[in-house]
Amino acid sequence: MSLPAAAAEVAADFRDALQDLRMNSRPEISNLTLIAKENTEYAEAISTELEKHIRSTRPEWKLPALYVLDSIVKNVGTPYTVYIGRNLYRTFMDGYLVMDQTTRKNMEGLLKTWKMPVPESMDPRPVFPTEVTQDIENALAKFRAAQQQVQRPQHALPPRPPSLNVAWKGTSTPPQNAPRYVAPNDPRARPAYPPTPQQGPSAHAPTPPPAYHQPQQQAPPMSSVDLADLKTEVTQLIGATQNIFAQNPTDAALRMKLSALLSLKQVLDTQTLPPQQLEAVRQQVRALAPPPAPTPTLAPSTPVYPPQHAMPPGYPPQFPPMSAPPNLAQLLPGFRPPMQPTPQPAPAPTPSALNLAELLKRVSSPAHTNAAPVPAPYQPPFQGLPPPISTPVPVVQAPPPAATPPVNLAALLAQFNKPGAAPSMPSTPTQSAPFPQLPPQATTTAPALGSAEWLLRALSSVPNGTPANGTPIASQPMARQPSAPVNLMEQIELTTVSMKKPRLHLVSRLYEAKPNICATCGRRFESTPEGKEKKARHMDWHFKVKDPDAAKRGVSRSWYIPEKEWIEYREVDETAPNQSNDPSSTTGATKLKKQTKDRYVSVPQDVTLQQVPCPICQEKFETQWNVEANDFVWMDALNVGGKVYHATCFEEYSKGAGIEMPGTPDSVLGKRKAELGTNGEGKKIRAY
Amino acid sequence: MISLPGLNLSSQPAQAQSVPAEAVTRTQDLAANTEYRFEVGFSRTLTVKLQSGTAELFGTELAPSTTYSFTGTNGAIFTWHGCKLDVGGDVESDYVAEETPMMSFANLHFALENLRDRSIASGSTEMGPRVLIVGPDNSGKTSLVKTLTAYAVKTDRQPMVVNLDPRQGMLSVPGSFSAAAFSSIVDMEEGWGSSSITGPSPVPVKMPLVYHYGLKDPEEGRTFKSLVTRMALAVTSRLEEDKPSKQAGFIIDSSGAISQGKNGVYDSIEHIVSEFSVNVLITLGSERLYSDLSRKFNARTTDPSESVSVLRLDKSGGCVARSEDYMRSLRHAQIKEYFFGRGDEPLAPSSQTADVADLHVFRIVEPDPSGSYTTVDEYGISVEKPLFEPVKVDERMQNQILAITTAGPKDSQDVIRDASVRGYIYVASVDEARRKVKLLSPLPGGTLDTALVVGSWPEPVEGLVG
Repeated sequence: MSLPAAAAEVAADFRDALQDLRMNSRPEISNLTLIAKENTEYAEAISTELEKHIRSTRPEWKLPALYVLDSIVKNVGTPYTVYIGRNLYRTFMDGYLVMDQTTRKNMEGLLKTWKMPVPESMDPRPVFPTEVTQDIENALAKFRAAQQQVQRPQHALPPRPPSLNVAWKGTSTPPQNAPRYVAPNDPRARPAYPPTPQQGPSAHAPTPPPAYHQPQQQAPPMSSVDLADLKTEVTQLIGATQNIFAQNPTDAALRMKLSALLSLKQVLDTQTLPPQQLEAVRQQVRALAPPPAPTPTLAPSTPVYPPQHAMPPGYPPQFPPMSAPPNLAQLLPGFRPPMQPTPQPAPAPTPSALNLAELLKRVSSPAHTNAAPVPAPYQPPFQGLPPPISTPVPVVQAPPPAATPPVNLAALLAQFNKPGAAPSMPSTPTQSAPFPQLPPQATTTAPALGSAEWLLRALSSVPNGTPANGTPIASQPMARQPSAPVNLMEQIELTTVSMKKPRLHLVSRLYEAKPNICATCGRRFESTPEGKEKKARHMDWHFKVKDPDAAKRGVSRSWYIPEKEWIEYREVDETAPNQSNDPSSTTGATKLKKQTKDRYVSVPQDVTLQQVPCPICQEKFETQWNVEANDFVWMDALNVGGKVYHATCFEEYSKGAGIEMPGTPDSVLGKRKAELGTNGEGKKIRAY
Repeated sequence: MISLPGLNLSSQPAQAQSVPAEAVTRTQDLAANTEYRFEVGFSRTLTVKLQSGTAELFGTELAPSTTYSFTGTNGAIFTWHGCKLDVGGDVESDYVAEETPMMSFANLHFALENLRDRSIASGSTEMGPRVLIVGPDNSGKTSLVKTLTAYAVKTDRQPMVVNLDPRQGMLSVPGSFSAAAFSSIVDMEEGWGSSSITGPSPVPVKMPLVYHYGLKDPEEGRTFKSLVTRMALAVTSRLEEDKPSKQAGFIIDSSGAISQGKNGVYDSIEHIVSEFSVNVLITLGSERLYSDLSRKFNARTTDPSESVSVLRLDKSGGCVARSEDYMRSLRHAQIKEYFFGRGDEPLAPSSQTADVADLHVFRIVEPDPSGSYTTVDEYGISVEKPLFEPVKVDERMQNQILAITTAGPKDSQDVIRDASVRGYIYVASVDEARRKVKLLSPLPGGTLDTALVVGSWPEPVEGLVG
């Protein structure tokens, strides 16, 4: 069969399937996604078909079709993003104009997620290039402005019956991200709430989540608009941090920051805070956030969200977010089984006075996560995330401890602050106060988990800083625990005869001395608190490397490291607390790696040049606002002889070629590096 | 040069028609201190799961909830405490052995532990044990190295392992010499584990330093000693700064060929011992080798810090002579694995086309049939042949792997010889008329304008790219 004919056939199949899609049906959407996925060679035909369908079908059937589009671009990605992106503006706006208000909200929710990276993807780029989404944003802003002047809905379509909305609601982006992302959020909200992180936090806004177990939680929010805004900000910050984290997946400091932010979001989502606390939090978040990219249209868009939440909470969860279709489930073997973490009665005691600070602390304490009653898939993706259930969210009690918690929270977050931005809230002395009681497990060499010191240290790349417990040997397992004191060790002569003597009692050192075995790989740990902690980190690591996207991304064998780098290379033990506490392990070579990723070039003015991909990997660059450069930049990029490459690609290339990397153009990079809290691991070469 | 990942590549192994009886598993009871030995061909698969008790494969413990599968492996699962195994699949042969050398392996480990503790006690000024393992082919050298490594890792040490046997690669392809520190478990199914890949791996990857030797026999080439010296230099430099590795010391695996001895002279062994300052020399099996070496090294005990303890361990009854066919399949599998990974964790190599003129290939010059490296020049004077001769890729090079070195094409022969290897590419096909070469590279975006070294070893691997 000739290619065009085959394309036509596939397209016709796809069209038929699309025409059957009358409502938001998860199986159908995943089926269509699967078709698209298996026929990427006909992506253009399929994309055209989909666009045609969205344009031509009845308004109330457009949204499900848009969900198909959404599912395809998120689950399959290129080349669909390219084909669909070309006409996205028209596809989207044509639909938007004929929709009723509620559906528009859903569409806006979709659009919002398209500006972010695909959740859980290692690829930090947004689903669609910013140029594409920005045009739509601009149009929406204009549209809204016009609408507000007219003060009445322009389109007289009758509001759709709520039942329909319900059906659609759960599926902003169908399946792939659901379990992972929902889990860290308020678990009680899950049954009724769709996996909304990409839909923007405001989805949760004024109505607190339907409180299954804590009905008294319904206290009215102080200021819903403020809260929604704040949540938006937090979400944006999370998005930005995720981007960075995706590039530096091993950066413990970033992970910490991210988990703190996620937990902050959780707190915001689940609790009602007095306005002054909100204000404090907001200030911290603002201080943390990079200056927002000049997207003036964003602001107007937010206030329009509230109607969406006006939907009654707690309608039947028609599409449990967990039930990912089988094909996706296969892709994501590492995901937490959906219902597992639902033993509702929290095993951990729930002191009523638990405040925000403690919550955050707990959240960032790996030892705590270990206590999770989740046997199989060990850990949530970021080790800091609390197992949803065992974290007793101190919902109702939040207001009483009034003044202090926000201070703690602010102080805590202030630690993440860049040195430049002045923290508006309290100064260091108060910080240590709320954190004296540490989880008993925290008997490691690291400073008290959750303490300001600990956070500082996590953030700072200065390895010698804060010798709280003064044992800088975390990455030297040998030194820390010799298998037995030398004098007690039976001296075994190194002779042929001596080797033949049975010494079965010694074998216990290999087994009984470490009774705690990892069921996955057989590594053993001591039964001491320290051993437990190591095992927890080890389990974290197991979880982390179960990358469901690995196959999709096409993993390859790396080049071997050259001699000099090898001599400077240090093994990384996944059970070491912060994987580079040893200053000597921060090698010159790996520092260079870090720097490579931080290189950037300004986005070229020329529109065609903006579309040029990296000549090495053929992928496009990610546009970001850069504070230092005060400009939009492509991160991890390098201009060599007029061509822009991904810096890491070029480095890989130049190493093979023995070419010197071009010198760093400005000294700013050095500063940046320090701020980001390098922890000295070469990403590309890191041993997992 | 275009780079099309995954194009025209078939990753299907040449499977034989044997149908594994998947569902059928049986329970294998093992009494304490016995081992279950198996030989699995390359067309079969054996699965093993620990049901109860403890068990270890070459020192690495079987995890209780993982099913391991073995293909093209000869192995022995030993238990100190007794265990029950669920065994499935299909093997060439398997049996339970009661006599094993494991106690002596463990004793050796604990003796080495003494030396490691001493190194720690000295504040890391003293280096941990430097162990060299020698013995004839198929005497269990690599198994012993693995066991010692696994026990050391289990004791939270970070030993360095050096492979100087070109017959089989460690974390790399055959024909290479490599060294890597092991801070994480030795992969059970894959032999040693995997070198780094561009994504996460369920078993921690190792970071080897690799040199290319490119010949089968250490004694035949002229680069062996230089590479040993180079490797020793790199390893010692690293250990100077890398405390955990320094305390744990290193373990060197060698080729059986250097243990044959020419008239009682073990030139290569002596060279390794002196370059690496080996202080524990283990001979496996051969009495004569032990006797020769202990005589040689015990004579030098003037300075205790330079003394070498020579020990002999019994060869395990499980050691079988591996046929040339098996060894070829093993090499083939190692090369395939380098590019494609293993079945459940596939890697995506990249197919590239290059101009013949762009590749700077250096062929390792081999001795003439009389073993001589000299040739007679046009003036009738006999001169030594160079180490490498620059060659153009031609059809004879098809299916061979080329080592991408860190040396430039204009570097001197010594620099090329001592250069470490960045990776390997496979010559999939050569179009001499169009002067184009199709290559398989481990990852896209590589570059080929460094010196590429090719030797007669490993032999060409056919059908890597379908």
